[in-house]
Order: sequence, then C-alpha cells, then structure tokens
Amino acid sequence: MANVEASKVDLFVKKMYQQRYLYLMSVPFIILVLIFNYIPIWGWIMSFQNFKLGRTFFEQEWVGLANFIQILSDKQFYLVLRNTLAMSVMGLIAGFTIPIIFAVSLNEVSHTGYKKIVQTISYLPHFVSWVVVAGIFYKLLSTDGGVVNDILMKLGFIGEPIQFMAKGKLFWWIVTLADIWKEMGWNSIIFISAITAIDPQLYDAAKVDGCGRFRQIWHITLPGIRSVVIVLLILSIGNLVRIGFEKQMLLSNPLVFDYSEVLDLYALKYGLGLNRFSFGTAIGMFSSLVSVCLLFTANGLFKHYSKESVM
Amino acid sequence: MLKNKKIVLVFGLVIFISLPIFSNSNKEKASETSDKVTTFTAFFADPNSSWNGMQDDVGKFLTEKTGVTLNVEMAVGDPAQKINLIAASGVYPDLISPKGDNGALIESGALIDLTDLIDKHAPNIKAVLGDQIKRLRHSYEDQSIYFIPTLDAINQYYYKVGGPFNLQLDVVEKLGYPEIRTLEDYEAAIKAYVEKYPTIDGQKTIGLSLLADDWRIMISTTNPAFFATGAPDDGEFTIDPKTFDAMLHYKRPAEREYFRWLNHMNDIGLLDKESFVQKYDQYLAKIAAGKVLAVIDQDWEIGQAVNSLKSEGKFNRTYGKFPVTLDESYKIPVFQQAGFNGGWGIAITKSCKDPVKAIKFLDYLASEEGQILVNWGIEGKHYNYNEKGERIIPADVLDMKINDNNKFKKETGVGNYLLSLRYGDGNKDSTGNYYTTNYPEQILSDYSDFEKKVLKNYNATFWKDLFPKEDEFPVKPWGAAWNIPIPNDSPITVFQQKEQDIIRQLIPEAIMATPAEFDGIYDKMLAQLEAIDSTKIEKEYTSYVKKRIKLWTE
Amino acid sequence: MKRKKINVDRVFNTFNGLIMAIVLIVTLYPFLNVLAVSLNESLDTVKGGITIFPRKFTTENYKVIFTYQNLLNAFFISVLRTVVGTVAGLIASSMVAYTLSRSDFQARKFFSTFLVLTLYVSGGLIPGFLLMRDLHLINSFWVYILPAIVNAFYIFMIRTYMEGLPFELQESAFIDGASDITVFIKIILPLSTPVLATIALFIAVGQWNSWFDTYLYNGSNDLLSTLQFELMKILQSTQTGSDMARNNNVLEQMTTVTPDSIKMAITIVTVVPIIMVYPFLQKYFVKGMTIGAVKS
Repeated sequence: MANVEASKVDLFVKKMYQQRYLYLMSVPFIILVLIFNYIPIWGWIMSFQNFKLGRTFFEQEWVGLANFIQILSDKQFYLVLRNTLAMSVMGLIAGFTIPIIFAVSLNEVSHTGYKKIVQTISYLPHFVSWVVVAGIFYKLLSTDGGVVNDILMKLGFIGEPIQFMAKGKLFWWIVTLADIWKEMGWNSIIFISAITAIDPQLYDAAKVDGCGRFRQIWHITLPGIRSVVIVLLILSIGNLVRIGFEKQMLLSNPLVFDYSEVLDLYALKYGLGLNRFSFGTAIGMFSSLVSVCLLFTANGLFKHYSKESVM
Repeated sequence: MLKNKKIVLVFGLVIFISLPIFSNSNKEKASETSDKVTTFTAFFADPNSSWNGMQDDVGKFLTEKTGVTLNVEMAVGDPAQKINLIAASGVYPDLISPKGDNGALIESGALIDLTDLIDKHAPNIKAVLGDQIKRLRHSYEDQSIYFIPTLDAINQYYYKVGGPFNLQLDVVEKLGYPEIRTLEDYEAAIKAYVEKYPTIDGQKTIGLSLLADDWRIMISTTNPAFFATGAPDDGEFTIDPKTFDAMLHYKRPAEREYFRWLNHMNDIGLLDKESFVQKYDQYLAKIAAGKVLAVIDQDWEIGQAVNSLKSEGKFNRTYGKFPVTLDESYKIPVFQQAGFNGGWGIAITKSCKDPVKAIKFLDYLASEEGQILVNWGIEGKHYNYNEKGERIIPADVLDMKINDNNKFKKETGVGNYLLSLRYGDGNKDSTGNYYTTNYPEQILSDYSDFEKKVLKNYNATFWKDLFPKEDEFPVKPWGAAWNIPIPNDSPITVFQQKEQDIIRQLIPEAIMATPAEFDGIYDKMLAQLEAIDSTKIEKEYTSYVKKRIKLWTE
Repeated sequence: MKRKKINVDRVFNTFNGLIMAIVLIVTLYPFLNVLAVSLNESLDTVKGGITIFPRKFTTENYKVIFTYQNLLNAFFISVLRTVVGTVAGLIASSMVAYTLSRSDFQARKFFSTFLVLTLYVSGGLIPGFLLMRDLHLINSFWVYILPAIVNAFYIFMIRTYMEGLPFELQESAFIDGASDITVFIKIILPLSTPVLATIALFIAVGQWNSWFDTYLYNGSNDLLSTLQFELMKILQSTQTGSDMARNNNVLEQMTTVTPDSIKMAITIVTVVPIIMVYPFLQKYFVKGMTIGAVKS
C-alpha cells in the first residue's frame, strides 16, 4: 500500500520534472496573478465590518451579515437585479449573433481592399465615448426634429411624433441597439481572426464537392470558429450580473428609471458614492459569487454537451 | 530561434535601461528643498488647467516673498475617490483642498487643528475673519478648525441675478412691458406671445422648457419651487426660521401648488413635452435657437446657449430675470443672506513638513497685499494707479485677459492663487479700490442695448433692481443648511440618496400627468417619502441645524 | 446549370456588398459627427444640428488643447507604456496559453481555474491601492505594466486558438527531441500570428486608452503622466471653469470654447494614433497563416 502511494508520488514528481519547462513558462505569471489579483481580495472582509477609514484593521467594528441582510431586504435591489439580467441577456444574445454574422459576411466579401476598409471603419465607434453615442441616439429619436420620427411621419405610419425615450418598455431595446452599433465591429475582430485560421483547403474541397456559399458557411466557417464562440460565451455568461452602468445611465431619463437602474449603478449610488465601503464591498462580493456560480454552471454544461470548456 | 533570442535580449535591455529613469528618484529630487524655498505638495479637488507650477508672474513673486512653492496634484473625475485613497493609505500631501469630500480625511485624522497656528502665526486671517472665526470650527462635537475657507469669500456682494425665472426679452417688449410678478403674469405673457407668434425663425415656438438631466433636475425643476414660494435655498430641507425645524421642502403645501402650476402648464400645452426626457445639450440647442420663451434655470446653466445667441446678435432672444412667485403674498428670496459659511477650503495635513511656514503662506495670501496680488497681479506689470488713485488694468493686459483668458491666467497667474481667505466682490481696500476686479460698472458694459432698453421700460438699471433687496430679509443664523457637515455614518446620507430616487422619478410623473391625477401622484410621493422615515430624519437634521447655530453663536 | 450557379453567386456578392456598405455608413457616422463637431465653432455647435460637416469651420478647439505643456512628454510615456505593455503582455499570455493548451500538462486544470476566477473577483479600489503602495509601485512607470501583464481573457483566447492547431505538428518535433520551449517558439508561435495580432491590438488599445491608473498612482508626477490623463485634465478644467463661476457667482466671461467641443477634439486626438496601428496588425489576420503552407 505504502509502496503504491510512494510510486504515485514518484510518478508525479517525475512527470513534473519532465514538464519543468511548462512550469517555467507559467509559474512566474501565476505568481504575478496571485499578487495582483488574489491578495487584494482581503478587502472582502470589509463587507462583514462597518469599515471606517483611519481605523486599523483590528479596530474595525464587526457586523456579521448585516450588510447582506440590508441588501436583500431592499426592494430597489430586486428591481435593479431584474433590469440588469434583462439587459445582459438581451445583450448576450445580440452581442454574439450579430458580430458573428458580420464576421462571416465580411469574410465572404471577395474584394480584399473593400473588406479591409469595412473592417477598419466598423470598429471606429468603439473609440467614441458613450456620452457621444447616447447624445446621438437622443437626437435621432427626439420628437423635436429627430430623424426617426420625421421618417415615420413622412411615411404616414404615425400621426404625431413618438417619445421613444420616454417609454420604459423600449429602454432595454434601445440600450441593446446602441451597444450593437458601438461594439459590433470591435467584437467581431476575434471572430474574424478565428476565421482566418481555417484551412483554405477545406473550402477548396467543398467547392469541388459542389457546395454553395451558404453550405460552405454552415459546414466550414461556423464549425471553424465554434470553439472560440463557446469559450467566449462561457466567459460572458459569468459576467451576466456585471454589465457596468455607463450606457444605462447616459441613455436613461427620469421617466424610465424603473427600467434603467442597474446593479453597478446601485452599488455606486448607495455604496462608494456615500463612502459606505462595507455596503459597496458587500454588493461587489455578492455579484462576484453569482458570477462564479454562473461560470461553473455554464462551463459544466458546455463541457457535458459540447466537449468544449474553459476549465 | 536566434532571432527570437535577440528580440528578448533587446526587450530586456530596454527594460533594464529605463528602470532607473522611472524609479522614485525623480520624485525625491523634486521635493528636495533648498534653505530658503520649501516645496509643499498639495491636492486640489478642483482641476485648474491654467496652473503653471508657480512659474507664472504671480507665482514667482509669491515664492520670492514667502519662500514657498507648491507641487500640485489635481482631481480628475470624482475627487472623492482619490481623497478616500489618500485617507486610507496615509500617504498625505502637505496641503489638501478636498471641497465637500472632507469627511474621510477628518475621520481618519489626516488633518491638523489650525486653531493655535492661526492664533500665533496668522494675524491677517484673524483680522479678515474677526468674530466670524467661530464659523470655521468643524462641528459642535469637534470644534477644531480644519480649513481656511477658500470657496466662500467674505462679505460677497452679489450684483447679478442668477435666476431662476427667465423670460425672453422679445416677449416683454412685444407685449408692451407687462408686470411680471406672479406665476399668473408669467404664464399670461408666455401664452399671449405663443398665440401671437406660433413660430420663431420657422421653428415651432416652445413656451417653457425644463431640464431634468441627472442632478440638473434640482436646478431647473425642484429648487425653483421653494424660491417661488418665498423660502431660501437650504438644499432639500427647508428650515423654519423661528423653530429651526427642518422639513423636506416638498412637504410645504405652497410647493404642491407650484408643481400643480407646472402640471397645468403641461396640460395647456405650454410646457415642452420633452422637458423630462431631453439631455442637457438638446436643451441648450433649443435655447440657442431662440425658440424657447421661458426657462426656469440659473444663469450658469444656460450660459453657453445665451452666449451663442449673443454671438449671432440675437439679443432680443436673450433673457430677462423676473421676481416671480406663486402669488403676491410671497417675496422671492434669492438675495436673502446666509452670512459667512466658513466650510470648504484648504487644510494642512499631519504629514506637512513645516505647518508654520504653510500657515504663514496662507496668511500672506489673506493680507491686503496678498489679496491685491492674487486678484489684480503685480503693480506696474498687470495694473497701475492713475492720478486719481484708481487701480486700472493697462490696455494690452486687459486685451489679453478678455480675448485669451487662458493664456492670460497661465502667464500672469492672476486668478490661480485663490487659495486662502479673501474678501468678495464689492469690498474696498485701504486705497479705496475694490479688492476684486468685478464691480457694477462692468455689468452694465455686459448688457446689450436691447437689454438696457427693456430695463429702462421697467424703470431699472440692473435686473437686481426688480428684486427684493438683501435688507428685506433677515440674515439666516444657520447659514446655508446644505453645507452643514453630516457624518458619513449618519442615516441622513442614505436617506438623501433614497429621497432623490423618489423625487427624480415622481415629480416629473406628477407634472406630466393629467390635472385630475396630479394630487394622487403627489400624495403617493409624500407617502413614499414617509415610508423611508422622512419625519425621523427631519428631526435628526433639525438637531444638526440647532447645533450649528449654537456653535456659531456660543 | 452552371450559369444559374454563377448568378446565385453574383446575387449573393452584390447583396452582401450592399449590406456591408450600409454597415460602413452607419458605423462611420458617429465618428464623422465627432470630427465635424470638433472642427466647428463652439458657440455654433450649441445650437445643435451638426451632422457630418462642420457648419462654421474652426481649428480653435484643437488650439486650446495644444497650448498645454507636457503633452509631448505625456505622448512619449503613452507610446512607451503601449509598446512595453503590449510586448510584455503578449509574451506572458502566449507562454501561459501554450502551457494550458497542452492537455498533458499536470497543472492545466488548476491554473485554468485559478486564472479564470480573476475575471470575476476583485478586491476593490482601496485594497488595490494599498497593495501598490506596499510594493512601492506608486510613482513608478511599472505600475502601468506589472499588474496588467497577465490577463486571463487574452490567455483563454490564445489557448483556444492553439488548441485548434493539429497536435501532430508538435508530436513529430517532440519525437525529434525538441524541448517544450523550442516547440513553443519554433512551431506554435509562428502558427499563431492571427490570434497574437488580435490580442496585441486589444492590449495596445487598453494600454493607450487607460488614464485611471495614471491618476490613482502617478497623478502627482508630471514625468510619468500619460496623454490620456493630460487630456482628461484639460477636459475637466474646462468643465469646472463654469462650475467655479457657479460657486463664486462671478461674472462669467464669454468663452469661445465649450467643454463639449473640447471633448470632441480630444476624442480625435486620442483616437487617431491608435487607429493607425490597426492596418499594420490587420494584415496578419485578414490574410492569416495557412496551416497547409507550414505543413509542407
């Protein structure tokens, strides 16, 4: 028995030695991650305290789960959670399909110069700040000379201008649309680069077999980028509750608050913004834990059904 | 393989060579001090892009005079973030000017009590303050002095009406200068003009437009409610002048009537339907097009749009200010005095190398010589005295000041050193000249001929002439309630955030509703405020108000 | 039969080309709008209605920006951090990614999990700041580089790509006695140019655009200031210029530039250098490497 144990350890050490270069290539960076990403997590302890600046760690007052109870008993919290999930699910669906369709269509453009120009231009909006994009959206949808209302009026679809921005029900769609507009080109870069890795011989073979363009896309291009898509998808599912707040804040107005308030804004407004470090940390910790659960679930599901996974 | 090695080698070399360049050594050198000149590090919450590292005229003069130079870091974005980090890490600069975000610094004990330093080393600061030095004390519980006030000038006299009830000059001119005193008058003028001129320059005339973009809702929509009903600006709470009881100002019955009037304006189509949807730039664009007859707002918020109108010569589309109230029983209290508020300013931290030298530097800035220096510049260079003893700015300096203000500030440094106590506009120094460069004659030169004509028809020279004067109101013994320091862990902090969430949603909803629904929504709002314990919080707030009065009078 | 197929192809190409043209116009608009506003007189911009051409042309908004000192030094620091950060990031990510792509690597699962969690957990601003203080990274150039060297997201992107490469390529090298490092450098890296170019772009853009770390850690040291941070300062002070007027109720002078116009000019100034990087990288992933070519 002891022998078996010893030989197992021996084997492990032996393999470790064999893979010493692999360790050499990864361990230094794992240590960096340990320092810069893991050490600061001691900050989570704050969420069990009533943290005040200027006190040492041991002088802080311990409050147990009080901060979490306060979060879970706030009605507002559930509202922002609903909005966050709604917008992130919509963003996830649109944010994957559209850049993929764009990347695939771009790949089908035969003229290289045109292809390059379209690609370069398409990612420009990524560099334009949300303030500007939100401003453009407001002007497009305005009732005071907004292009969308003008067109709809001229075509006779509507009798008088519609206040798109005042309709809470439309808000989620507007955010999703604005996000697509701004980030489609940028998000497609990773797919475009994955497509270029596909062996061109496969296309040649398919052409010989008489496959049309759509069948080539279906049988070669899409399977070719499948693993990238799945890895990205798993990572994004983990981020469902963490979607930032900038675009929602800039696109919202008092008439749609019930639909526009999101978790990260709530954390800022009631946490750090009021110097309530413990409360802010508690929300951060909550969303981190939810993220990790989502991540492992998604990872497990994809591993089981598609053999692709992150871990 | 070899090529790759080379790349790695070169890269390693680059890192190795650049290491010493970016190590801390730079920093050490910069703050090294010679015998005479001390460099103080400082953090300012207000960024100032004209700051020139004290290499401007006034800065060099100051260094020579006081032996002090400043190495300043300025906030970008929300100053609170950086200030909290400064407080948390204990890496304090020598001087810090945190504006309103000072709670963390005081809590963490970063700031030193200036009481003794002022007493021993700051004769000028003492002289300027006189008895008001009491108002520098932080709070009733902690009577230390942490700040030399820099934001609030002493005895500031206001020449200008900031707002809030603006009416286009063309409206009153075309209607033959009607009296604009009540909301009824205001509404009648707007209505008559819209009927007469349904379009302006081909675009549909807008009667009244409001703004609710984020915090701006307070300036344009909610604060005017207390002005129109005779209560001064104390932030979200209104203070009873007799009992000093605090109450959310929305609870005053008169304010419900003000909001009902806005609801009525919406009902009859005079209120811009986009009021609560539009963003700031859309709002400005409408005003700059000259098609908005009335705006309820402060000057600084609509300034860009008005400047745009002026630059196009559309002076009849700029605005006049009228003392509008709910009815004639109220007086608009925009000029009610709050007295000197103390409050926000510059502090010396525990890490300061030489607190005595620092306070002496600030004291010099507060002296008459120092105040003239920071406001006017250097004699013979930026100003002269004429034969009558009047201080005047030479034509070439004035030209640069007006036409290239940025360059002017950077080169001369005038306006960059408002870092200590000083007198406000309208105060004269020992030579009989004003301390500051703003005075009444200047305002007149700012008025267009059209504006002067309109004012003449109202028998006035300045817009201020139409308003109830300072002496018609008692001075508020509690100052301005909104700058009473509230500790971070007080329930008031969270309450105010929740209150804002409710107000910002339901006030617009009430105004946009039909008149029949108005009361229901308003009552719902009051009920929601009650549900977050507003009555209890008001009592708590009252105690802070009373403590401040005690602190200031004892 | 054959003719029909060509027609389908042509219809597809025309249709696809048209859709791309629409995408082109729609995505170009915000950028052109920013450019037009940045070249338009500020007070005229306030009136609104600027679309893709300036109405009253001026370069005043840019002049205001370029009167500031320290921009040149800040530009240099920005370039340096972008170059050093990108090179260091690429080296680190590709090495770690390779080890994780090796299904026989012992620590593969543990390291993967260890890395992926960093994408979802963070300690917050204050603990992060205290860590940098204790590591003496405040007031140092290295605070731009070290914390950002390892990025799990980039590692997983590269790893996924490397896993897609046929393993036989490595296998034959191992049989010939090559070490892991040799295989990585001689076989894997050359085949991975498309994904490396993509990740290089991501890192470079991230490094170029960041200003918050400059503010937090090096705000008081002009020598280490970056372009983005200097521009943020300019923007802020034009905004607070009017705030000051509000607080002191001083007489506001008629300014020729507004914060909005400055913001647009700043956007252009920061975006132009980084988008010029793009065409250089683009050739690596529009053309790509053909595995077939390497095989033979």
